[in-house]
Amino acid sequence: MNNKRICTIAVVIGLVLISAITANAASYFEGKTIRIIVGYSAGGGYDTYARVISRHMGRHIPGNPSIIVENMTGAGSLISANHLYRVAKPDGLTIGHFNGGLFFSQVMDQPGIEFEARKFEYIGAATTEDVAYAFTKASGITSMEKWMASKTPVKMGGTAPGAYAPDNVIRIAKAALGLPIQLVTGYKGTADIRLAAEGGELAGSSWGWDSMRATWRKSLESGDVVAVLQGVPKPLRDLANVPLAVNYAKTDEARKLIEAGIHSPSVFARPFVLPPGTPNDLLQVLRKALQETLTDKEFLAETEKAKLDLNPVTGDELGQAVAEIFKLDSALRAQMKEILFK
Amino acid sequence: MTEMIGAFFSGLYQIFTWSTLSLMFLGIIIGFAVGILPGLGGPTTLAIMLPFIVKMKAVEAFAFLLGMAAVTNTTGDITSILFGVPGEPTTAATIIDGHPMAKKGEAGRALGAALLSSLVGAIFGAFFLAAAIPVVRPLVLTFGSPEFFMLALLGITFVASLSGSDFLKGLISGGIGLFLATVGLCPMTSVQRFTFGQIFLWDGIGLVPITIGFFAIPEIVDLSVKGSSIAGDKIGKLGGVMQGVKDTFHHWWLVIRCSAIGTVTAIIPGMGGATTQWLAYAHAVQSSTDKERFGKGAVEGVLGPGASNNSTLGGSLVTTIAFGVPASVTMAILMGAFLIQGLVPGPDMLIPEPKGHLALTFSFVWINVVSNIITVGICFLVLNHLVKITQIRGSLLIPFIILLVYLGAFAEKNTFQDLILVLIFGILGWVMLRFKWPRPPLILGLVLGPLAENRLFLSTGNYGLAWIFRPGVLILIALTAIGIILPILRVMRQYREKKNRPTTQEPLAHDVPKTLRWKASTLFTLFLIAMIIWALWQSRRFDFRSGLFPWAIGFPVLVLFLVQLLRDLTLKEPEKSDEDKKELSDDETKRRTRAIFFWIFGYFTAIWLFGFSVGVPLSTFLHLKIGAREKWSLSLILTACAWGLIYGIFDRILHVPFPEGQLFLWL
Repeated sequence: MNNKRICTIAVVIGLVLISAITANAASYFEGKTIRIIVGYSAGGGYDTYARVISRHMGRHIPGNPSIIVENMTGAGSLISANHLYRVAKPDGLTIGHFNGGLFFSQVMDQPGIEFEARKFEYIGAATTEDVAYAFTKASGITSMEKWMASKTPVKMGGTAPGAYAPDNVIRIAKAALGLPIQLVTGYKGTADIRLAAEGGELAGSSWGWDSMRATWRKSLESGDVVAVLQGVPKPLRDLANVPLAVNYAKTDEARKLIEAGIHSPSVFARPFVLPPGTPNDLLQVLRKALQETLTDKEFLAETEKAKLDLNPVTGDELGQAVAEIFKLDSALRAQMKEILFK
Repeated sequence: MTEMIGAFFSGLYQIFTWSTLSLMFLGIIIGFAVGILPGLGGPTTLAIMLPFIVKMKAVEAFAFLLGMAAVTNTTGDITSILFGVPGEPTTAATIIDGHPMAKKGEAGRALGAALLSSLVGAIFGAFFLAAAIPVVRPLVLTFGSPEFFMLALLGITFVASLSGSDFLKGLISGGIGLFLATVGLCPMTSVQRFTFGQIFLWDGIGLVPITIGFFAIPEIVDLSVKGSSIAGDKIGKLGGVMQGVKDTFHHWWLVIRCSAIGTVTAIIPGMGGATTQWLAYAHAVQSSTDKERFGKGAVEGVLGPGASNNSTLGGSLVTTIAFGVPASVTMAILMGAFLIQGLVPGPDMLIPEPKGHLALTFSFVWINVVSNIITVGICFLVLNHLVKITQIRGSLLIPFIILLVYLGAFAEKNTFQDLILVLIFGILGWVMLRFKWPRPPLILGLVLGPLAENRLFLSTGNYGLAWIFRPGVLILIALTAIGIILPILRVMRQYREKKNRPTTQEPLAHDVPKTLRWKASTLFTLFLIAMIIWALWQSRRFDFRSGLFPWAIGFPVLVLFLVQLLRDLTLKEPEKSDEDKKELSDDETKRRTRAIFFWIFGYFTAIWLFGFSVGVPLSTFLHLKIGAREKWSLSLILTACAWGLIYGIFDRILHVPFPEGQLFLWL
């Protein structure tokens, strides 16, 4: 009886608290404008996701605030990440959307980082960046067996040292799995890499499967380009028969390198974050709103039409993935630096 | 073949529906405004418009977007000619001769020439796209990194033609451009080069702030010192719009060649209108028999870039459609539009329906043609009114031109530091103009430098040194060698001719007393030498890959500089030519120059302290009321206009994220 009463009281108090918070939130966000600061220029991948979300997320926030997207470009979105950490007010009205690979750069002690990744508040992500390694048929690398048996290093295209994909995932595959690879870096983007591969200058490369599938569809369908390996813990839906990189890891060390360098960064590649110190109730409201948006019918209709892939990540999962990379011990950290930047 | 022809006309047929045409018209109107305002780039607007195309049919969507993209270059030329401020980064070359024409009272003629050559360029580009469709894939795939590198090198040799009368100064200027291109993260190693620890410099020095500062600030100074309207009292003395139209036909063959330069070059990924305009301008200079006229209002200097920056779209579309490799930012956004429409750029686009989308591809050709015809038609209707801007009192225009300068520099990347770059390069541009250093080579070096460096390392990374022996490379080496040797021969011939008849060309130098100006120009050379030595000293810690390019450019430039210093010290200053003779006394000129620089800096400081939406109206008002002593009513009305533009359009409607004023952050 006593127990029941306590339970009831607890529930009532809980309900009151929740309604108080939502009522608060409703009055808080009402008539306000939320800005999503995108670290890349208008029209790019990050911008596209942010703009679609901005058109639907307001409905799922109590008080129906309007949401606008602003572009703060520069230094691979580092400028916007630093801005969000140092300048933006933690009032729930400024959301950052930049390259999550920068969290990894912090672990790697790269210059220019002015934030502490673990202090951001994580709202969640609309999608991940699961990478696949693909080659042209003309290069002869159509399976892992052929790749491993290649006598000469296989030429793969990169964009810049420190980029999660293609450069980091290629360097880690080379170091952890001992694959014969010659990374040629400096291409302006994956589109240029595609062109170079089709022209025979490169054998292939590795970047997000979603984008690869969208832009290289014809060649993948005809078999002129073949995905031979994927950098994810569980096979992707349409790559069921393509082997996982982590399964080729012979040592515990190699496995850890792949997990910290390829798997985790995929989860936090495209995060939506709040400045450190944002009140928890606002964080929770926005977390819930994002997840609801990602299953919203109108939103889904629009992403379907725009061929935007979704793979929702919750705020908790995002935070955990970020925390994961900070657990690398110093020896592995040093080894990773050696692999990625030497 | 019949299928292709069928698709060609089906493409035309498709755009003539009410919905498609009206959407195209809407796109044109938006693009019109975007092109005229330097602060609004084509790419940003396209991105903002992307969501609207979700519900459109494919041909409607592209009529809307391509219509918008197609006209920005045309209307951008208008701003360049009238104000000397590049309306778009792709229309900077039009300033070099277009604005001097406006100053001579020939704004109408310049605009007429720019518009008609734009139309020719656009049509040329469109039909090139159509003609290239069957052969484009194999053709482009024969080009690898080595060929791209050689093409960039070939482009750099155009510096010679852009150098004007002073070949050595032109080479140095181009060298400085190439050197400035190395600022930022090294693309191969991610090492920071010359960034002063500033993150905003990681991506290099932006082309937009440099171009704006470089060309617009000297014009503002000039306008202010002159103290009259842009055209002075010369308006109407020389031919109007129809004269420009006639010029286009008179130089028909040049317009076609420059269109071809624009289209063909744009196929190369990384070479967009920002590059092709200068190549076309250089070609216009090179092919003229009277090179002295250029930079002072030669109509060919308007026709060349006018044609090429519009024909570029056709070439860029080739790589975007056939490979899904966007040649420019605009194209990258169009690619997004393809995906939204469920289309994958690539071979499918070149196969006739029902298997592919060839008719749609051909409709792009027609959209490009039709939207340009409409734009030019509209422009001709309003042209005579536009020309009147050049008759407005300079003091009323100046605050708005300064506003366009700062807004244009900021809004490209929403970076406040770009305003500082505008100031630095504005001063540099002004000094270079005063001491007769040609500016276009610097810009050409800046745009081609990264392409050359990237592709050189990619070539070596992929092929070792064997790339040099690829047949395409050998042909391009031969062409480049010709591009280097011919100007040298030309200079030598000129030198010999001068020697043979020394009295006509070189004025009686020893009669001219040494002036302060002579010393100042030497000081400027010394200053640049110090900069380059400092930069080379900074680069001593670079590894081979990061350092190769800065060294390969820096040391030869240093040597050229020393030669120039020697010239400065030994050669006497030639007598001032006619146009240098001013009606104003030297003291008055100096006073006005100081005053306008005070206002330019003051404007910047006001924006920095109070933010755009307070700083802009404040400095506009102060300049009008105190600087120019205008009437209260006029000052207030114009201030309200400036405020409305900044706050109403850019802040409230377009959500340009202006930074808060520093003062408010301190408080």
